[in-house]
Amino acid sequence: MKSFVHFNTRSVDEAIHLLKKYEGKAKINAGGTDLLGVLKDRILPEYPEAIINIKTIPGLSMIEDGEEKILIGALTTLADIINSSLIEKTFPLLKEAALSVASPQIRNVATIGGNLCQDTRCWYYRYPDGIGGRINCFRKGGKTCPAVSGENQYHAVIGAKKCYAVCPSDLAVALTALGANLTIAGQKGVRTIPVEEFYHPLGNTLSPDEMITAIHIPKPFPVARQTFHKFTLRKPIDFAVVSVSSLIFLDQEICTSSRIVLGAVASAPFRAYKAEEFLKEKKLSAKTAEEAARLALDGSKPLAKNAYKVEIAKTLVKRAVQGTE
Amino acid sequence: MTSIPKKHPPHTLSLTVNGETHSFILGKGPNEVSPSHTLAQTLREKLGLTGTKISCDRGACGSCTVLLNGKAVFSCMLLTVECEGKEITTIEGLSDPKTGNLDPLQQSFIDHTAFQCGFCTPGIIMSTKALLNTNPSPTVDEVKEALSGNFCRCISHYHVLDAVMDVVKKEGNQ
Amino acid sequence: MTDYRFIGKSTPRKDARDIVTGKIKFINDVTIPNMLYGKVLRSPFPHALIKNIDTAEAMRIPGVEAVLTHKDVPEWMGGASPLHVRILDNKVRYVGDGVALVAAETEDICEEALRLIRVEYEPLPAVYDVEEALQPEAPRLYDMFPGNLMPPENRIFGPHTLQEVVIGDVDKGLEEADFIIEGYCTYENIPNPMPPEPPGVIAAWEGSDTLTVWSASQGPHMFKVALQKRMGSINLQSIGSPVGASYGSKFMSWQYVLPAAALAKATGRPVKFCYGKAEHLAAFTVRLGSRIYGKVGMKKDGTVTFVSGDWLVNTGAFSETAQAMVAVGCGEAQLMLRCRNWNLKPKVVCTNRTASGQIRGFGGQELKCALTPIITMGMEKAGLDPVDFFKKNYVKPGEDFYWRDGIRWVCRGIDFSAAIDRGAETFGWKEKWKGWLIPTSVKGAKRRGVGVGVHGNADVGEDVSEAFVRLDPNGTATIYSGLAEHGTGQRSSICKMVAEILQLPLERVSVTPTDSRVNPFELGPVGSRGTYAIGSAVIAAAEDAKRQLFERMAQKFNVLPEELETKDGTVYVKGRTETKIPWIKGMGYDSTCMGHGRFEPDFSQPNFMMIFTEVEVDTGTGKVELIRVVGATDVGQVIDPLSLTNQLNGCLGSAGIDSALFEETVFDTRLGRIMNPNMIDYKWRTFSELPEMEHVILETPFPSHRFHAIGVGEITPSPGPSAVLMAVSNAIGVRMNDYPLTPDKVLRALKKIATTKRRGKR
Ligand SMILES: Cc1cc2nc3c(=O)[nH]c(=O)nc-3n(C[C@@H](O)[C@@H](O)[C@H](O)COP(=O)(O)OP(=O)(O)OC[C@H]3O[C@@H](n4cnc5c(N)ncnc54)[C@H](O)[C@@H]3O)c2cc1C
Ligand code: FES
Ligand code: FES
Repeated sequence: MKSFVHFNTRSVDEAIHLLKKYEGKAKINAGGTDLLGVLKDRILPEYPEAIINIKTIPGLSMIEDGEEKILIGALTTLADIINSSLIEKTFPLLKEAALSVASPQIRNVATIGGNLCQDTRCWYYRYPDGIGGRINCFRKGGKTCPAVSGENQYHAVIGAKKCYAVCPSDLAVALTALGANLTIAGQKGVRTIPVEEFYHPLGNTLSPDEMITAIHIPKPFPVARQTFHKFTLRKPIDFAVVSVSSLIFLDQEICTSSRIVLGAVASAPFRAYKAEEFLKEKKLSAKTAEEAARLALDGSKPLAKNAYKVEIAKTLVKRAVQGTE
Repeated sequence: MTSIPKKHPPHTLSLTVNGETHSFILGKGPNEVSPSHTLAQTLREKLGLTGTKISCDRGACGSCTVLLNGKAVFSCMLLTVECEGKEITTIEGLSDPKTGNLDPLQQSFIDHTAFQCGFCTPGIIMSTKALLNTNPSPTVDEVKEALSGNFCRCISHYHVLDAVMDVVKKEGNQ
Repeated sequence: MTDYRFIGKSTPRKDARDIVTGKIKFINDVTIPNMLYGKVLRSPFPHALIKNIDTAEAMRIPGVEAVLTHKDVPEWMGGASPLHVRILDNKVRYVGDGVALVAAETEDICEEALRLIRVEYEPLPAVYDVEEALQPEAPRLYDMFPGNLMPPENRIFGPHTLQEVVIGDVDKGLEEADFIIEGYCTYENIPNPMPPEPPGVIAAWEGSDTLTVWSASQGPHMFKVALQKRMGSINLQSIGSPVGASYGSKFMSWQYVLPAAALAKATGRPVKFCYGKAEHLAAFTVRLGSRIYGKVGMKKDGTVTFVSGDWLVNTGAFSETAQAMVAVGCGEAQLMLRCRNWNLKPKVVCTNRTASGQIRGFGGQELKCALTPIITMGMEKAGLDPVDFFKKNYVKPGEDFYWRDGIRWVCRGIDFSAAIDRGAETFGWKEKWKGWLIPTSVKGAKRRGVGVGVHGNADVGEDVSEAFVRLDPNGTATIYSGLAEHGTGQRSSICKMVAEILQLPLERVSVTPTDSRVNPFELGPVGSRGTYAIGSAVIAAAEDAKRQLFERMAQKFNVLPEELETKDGTVYVKGRTETKIPWIKGMGYDSTCMGHGRFEPDFSQPNFMMIFTEVEVDTGTGKVELIRVVGATDVGQVIDPLSLTNQLNGCLGSAGIDSALFEETVFDTRLGRIMNPNMIDYKWRTFSELPEMEHVILETPFPSHRFHAIGVGEITPSPGPSAVLMAVSNAIGVRMNDYPLTPDKVLRALKKIATTKRRGKR
């Protein structure tokens, strides 16, 4: 790996100060399970000059129970989330999502903040520099997205325009379904933003001098049925081909309201509003599930090689609504 | 706002590996540890602990698994400079340093020929060790889960599971 | 059955302790003093001329010792026969092809230097499809291969090297057939064997005429022979390291060894050259592409009346062994199908994708994976149970076939019908097989199906092996063999064979390092030749040494040498164990007995592997899960039970069964790039997804060697892929023949999503 200046930071302020100082030429390192791959393959148009380790900042790794919400520090590892009985009890879908990520060794160091901020896994974007040089795709400032007429089996099926890469984060999907908010600290102070609004087509809304410090998740009330289904070609390690996180509020058999979010179908977790709307006050049956699935994917425009993702997404929505495996 | 500490980066680094502490000079020279070196690189190139293997070098295969404060981690995805003050255990640290006696897991891998080419073996043993440290009597499914990040192309998985479950049984845990 | 002291018993591998303690040194674990590192600048274009290269800036970086381009590399040639690939050329032929070489003090410096080399290319049109490459107007990769067609090889396996199967009269077969099936199938998903250890080498020169190469070659001695052919008559010492698996791919890899040697020569220092994983996956070797347009005639009773067709083999930019693989594949087809009339014509074609290598299954798997689905259509038409069909048609003692040498061999091995029956019974085939395109069971969206495949190879007795066994007076034996350890446990197994013959404790038998200056000729553990070919040479050497020992000891007892017996380093007269004399008493401290053994090729005893598979298809998502695998074989005599089951379990990986399920190299034909050169996007099986696995291993003595055993390791994956196609077809009721069966394809077959055009031009 090409060298850089390295800082172990002791506070959020210090980290932000450094980010500011390097004017976009520094990168935060949390668990490093994403960043190190990005650096080794030299996929960034500009290699960072400085790496800022934030693991040395005290207090950012914690799970705190509040009355209406639970607070998770940005440095909390996925393993800690999985092992937390509080999370298991309150947000089983978040636990499932965390458990579906990579492998135990990665989850031991990977942080929730890093998971939300990880770079896309589009294989054109990630093409290693060492084998003939990186591919200058749209996301890297090139003119077009090579996936559109290329190998797009894992690419977006909904709403993509210039770049067809999907958001790879499993936790983003789960947190969107849970209606979570992010606390972001920056040069200008602290702001809060729903996870749902965090992503834009070419990444996220962080400015170069900002970092996530915490995630707040409201406790669902009344208690909802939570599911997280992730379809992969094989169980561990794989990123989602498609995933569905759902929160279904039930009164007897009747759905009072719901949040259904699809992962890996678009550049951000995709809220299936039409399906949510449709399910309101409906009795959950095979038929309503079928219709909800259709509506969830309504408007999808698959590319030549990823129509199957739409079909799988429908199946997952159907299964989530029906509560079957 | 805190000011940025004046001297960055620190000029030396100490690492505790298999109970021994080693000091390095940070820098770009051939004998120094660079801030961009991964733990796997440092273990192999600076400490000669080549039992830790590098295969994918991207966090996808588990060949480089070591224990960091008792937990299984990928040493190819950790910066050496960020491992200061942590306890690192590699495959070389499993057997008794004085007597040379093998860890029961190692012996069981021998008894079951739980490898073919053996390239993946140190990583697999370290992942298993991490599991048994926290859960001495795992089920087969728990072992599979703990090893789900370890690549073995020869398909020695079945013998590995036999070897691990045999240790679990022998240690009287199940 | 004989009860042996070691043979057939599980004994720890000799290298086991080093493996589990991390002490074993794979090639990249070795450093030698004063060593430099080497790296390659790789082409961004699939096909281009290099107009200009400027290396001045790269040379200026401190720590850079050499930068080589096509202008200054030695004229050592690689590639197939005729040799046609330079180490670096003024033309690149795939993305990742070598453009320049750098040697520097560290790998990081190499990488920085590579980035400073300025290259001007003139891109040329590229071609990836075999049929397109054969068109007259297609871009041509090598001037010497018009139409991108590699010439048939007529030397590698002797003057009659098998390059097609043309036997009998196909017209007659057409007349005799009750059914005629015409079909098309490809096995072109380019699976990668992907051993965990990336390829690597260290090269060092002494003076200008002596080169030492340390490498993870699967056959270090043969590698020496091959390198000498490429480099001229230099003194070459080839030293093998333990192989971090190979599955064939690291048998002979001049692609990285010649560059390392060139850099070592240019710098006068040892150079280590180890690939990273991306290079390993995108710029080393993959499986040959295989495409068949075939026609088969069949009678109602399963008799095959003819097989004809075109077999199009895609080598990518080159293949060192494609023609040899075609030869073996052509032989193997005949083992599987008893048929009098053949007209199977291969064409070996170069294209602008990554080069191909030899991979477990060596031509046979590539051929079978495309041919079997076509044969299967015939079985389906005739309403035959595939197990019965394979049992009827697999070669039996007394039947003949043309092997890779083009010579007619008569099988003098054994009949595998018993193994087939036992395999079917263990799997529960009769209960699970419901007929063609009928699922075994349906539960909601989940449908199960079963399939079976078969494979065999007469290579258990291929090529020459030589060995020495030296007895030392202290009661130890040393085997001199160039046998590399690549995971099969074969180095330990030959110790068992020698220990058995000399009745020595296993600890007292050892093998020399795989060093070509120490050991006699050894082709290497390829095919499944370890047990029979290599084993026979070692056994003969041990017998020879024992004979010499008895000759020397006979006078001590005043008997004929034949009357003696040895055990645990002592000698006694047969039946009279009360007087035992240690070897040293007869030999003195100042002598050794050196036995010599040589194995001459024998293709008369094919091995056999049948794979039964059960899959479950989720029709909602198109996902195929492998539920159960049963392997059936007969090995004559088990040498080491655990090593054998390890090899049999290996059927899943190394571009085997899983190449029908999810393994594929994804290739963008606009860019000529491999999109998944990493271990996340290239899919492989994990601990979480292990199918139930069972093996039926029979031991019907073979007329092979002293222990009546033959090897089987190489072929275990090969019957699997077509078995999986059959199982999935049956599960979903639609014939599937497009590897791998990803959700996309399954959902298309189920008509849940619209179908698009398939590959293939005709
Ligand atoms: C083999 C493999 C498989 C994987 N599988 C999955 C999977 O299935 N699902 C999935 O979701 N992910 C997967 N991942 C991605 C994995 O890296 C993330 O899940 C992990 O959580 C990232 O966390 P980290 O702390 O290691 O991030 P880092 O690598 O440290 O950081 C990632 C990015 O986020 C930035 N960053 C980190 N923390 C912050 C912060 N607090 N504020 C602002 N920016 C920040 C960094 O600058 C960097 O750009 C996989 C990765 C690998 C290597
Ligand atoms: S080498 Fe570290 S995970 Fe593969
Ligand atoms: S034993 Fe070879 S990869 Fe596991």
